[in-house]
Amino acid sequence: MSEALVLGLVFAFLLLAGVPIAFAIGLSAVGALLVTLDPAPAATVLAQRMATGIDSFALLAIPFFILAGNLMNRGGIATRLIALAKVLVGRLPGGLACINVLANMLFGAISGSAAAAAAANGGVMTPLMTKEGYNREYAAAVNISSATTGLLIPPSNIMVVYSMASGGVSIAALFLAGYIPGLLLGLSLMLVAALIAKRHGYPTAGKVGLGEAVRILWDAIPSLLLIALIMGGIIFGWFTPTEASAIAVVYTFVLSVLVYRQVKWSELPRLLADSAETTAMVLVLVGASMGMSWVMASANIPQVVSAGLLELTQDKTLLLLIITIILLVVGTFMDMTPAVLIFTPIFLPVVKQFGMDPIHFGLVMIFNLCIGLCTPPVGSVLFIGCGVAQTTIAKVVRPLLPFFVVMLVVLLAVTYVPALSLWLPKVLGF
Amino acid sequence: MNPLRSLLDGFLRGVISFLLAGMVLNVVWQVFTRFVLKSPSSFTEELARYSMIWLGLLGAAYCSGRKTHLALDLLTANLQGKRKRLSDLFIQSCLILFALAVMVGGGGRLVLISLELGQTSAALQVKLGYIYLAVPISGALIAVYAMMDLATVVRGQTVEVRAKGDLT
Repeated sequence: MSEALVLGLVFAFLLLAGVPIAFAIGLSAVGALLVTLDPAPAATVLAQRMATGIDSFALLAIPFFILAGNLMNRGGIATRLIALAKVLVGRLPGGLACINVLANMLFGAISGSAAAAAAANGGVMTPLMTKEGYNREYAAAVNISSATTGLLIPPSNIMVVYSMASGGVSIAALFLAGYIPGLLLGLSLMLVAALIAKRHGYPTAGKVGLGEAVRILWDAIPSLLLIALIMGGIIFGWFTPTEASAIAVVYTFVLSVLVYRQVKWSELPRLLADSAETTAMVLVLVGASMGMSWVMASANIPQVVSAGLLELTQDKTLLLLIITIILLVVGTFMDMTPAVLIFTPIFLPVVKQFGMDPIHFGLVMIFNLCIGLCTPPVGSVLFIGCGVAQTTIAKVVRPLLPFFVVMLVVLLAVTYVPALSLWLPKVLGF
Repeated sequence: MNPLRSLLDGFLRGVISFLLAGMVLNVVWQVFTRFVLKSPSSFTEELARYSMIWLGLLGAAYCSGRKTHLALDLLTANLQGKRKRLSDLFIQSCLILFALAVMVGGGGRLVLISLELGQTSAALQVKLGYIYLAVPISGALIAVYAMMDLATVVRGQTVEVRAKGDLT
């Protein structure tokens, strides 16, 4: 118990003091170890956990998906996806808003970064929308909320992180579990965006001629083929998610550098270094968290937490609601990767006692934290979305409200209807 | 910029970029040997994993130098003057404490113990002590960066923090 206290207090203090999260985790873990161990073995065991914590073949998918994503972001993929989205949903009311939503979903199905989707698609769509008389803040709100679908629709790096934090839940199953919640969220956001657009009398984006549509589809095929290759390869068991991510790097390299030539050879060193830096930032968090979750497990912290929660309620529905509220609050001020790494080892054992599937819980947790990406004070997608739309957070909050409501409703559906996440992986045999 | 700092930055950037490129080729080779040559290579998985450990740890030092580690700056972002300096001093001291006590001290001891026990990896037959060597080296580099930042703060200048996106 005293270990739990030391761990919690030291971590909270260092976190609020602005110490980088990975180091706050490491220092609090070593502090908790010192309750029972001498300094030398405590430091040694933590150092070992940091190294062995990132010694995982599955984790390699993260650097590869980051690299593939960076290659794609500069490869002009956004304009092709936006053109495709126009063919599909341009005729709906508020056509440009619907295009933005669908383009974010497609981007998510290829790169899996919400921030990149918000930057790339918002950068193209917001000027178009304001030119057609759409309210700028409405445009930003549509872009920001729908960008989060990219984290639910696979491939998704945060699911790989969750797999690590949960002690090895199948990444392939998590990926498949994300499709229906991601599509459901995207389509619901599109519906509400269209209803609001209709009330404000925003125009549709017009019809695309058949010849033009065929040409656009032809242009988008290489990008869509990548989805088929990665997910098809994983579903049919041709390769592991890690191998699929390495193939994605090769594929996007050939496409962006050799075929489209939108990434120059001279840009590659910079691109590689940027990807390696993001990777390292994530890896050190994973390593430190693995140390901390080991300390937590040996100090029985999940049991303490679950006993505390069980004292509050024995009801599964209510318990899930409490966890949801905690995660929503955490998500408003903490980045997603550390939040998943810290709270999975605490909450997963609790919900498992109630018979909740770890894959289902992973989706619920990631969905919760997605909402946090769009809320002040700390919301990376909110910041980027406001930046590309050249507006302020204060102005966007109000137009975002209806979309928050949509996200919360879909979140509750995903939380209380396990089949939404678990049906697809089950049918496909994962 | 401080010449030691730019030298270290450049060196680490080069090494982690090389490791990342190597890891991609490694796993691509693994797929190739399995599908085309029909005899899966035995060393690729281990080599890729060990490259990633070194990438993660040396990269941690690189992020430390460039201030791109994720942190919560809710309470510290708007500090000014003396309070800002105290906060910077505290943060850098925490980094030095962790880097020296846990990574150099604990990591160094880990290397020595592993070498003494003679543990080797399954496929590559590398001594595990050499893999773990990344921990104390990274710790030493983090401490060097943090001490340079500490000196900057003591001289009365502020330490710039770059915003770097999370995975999301």
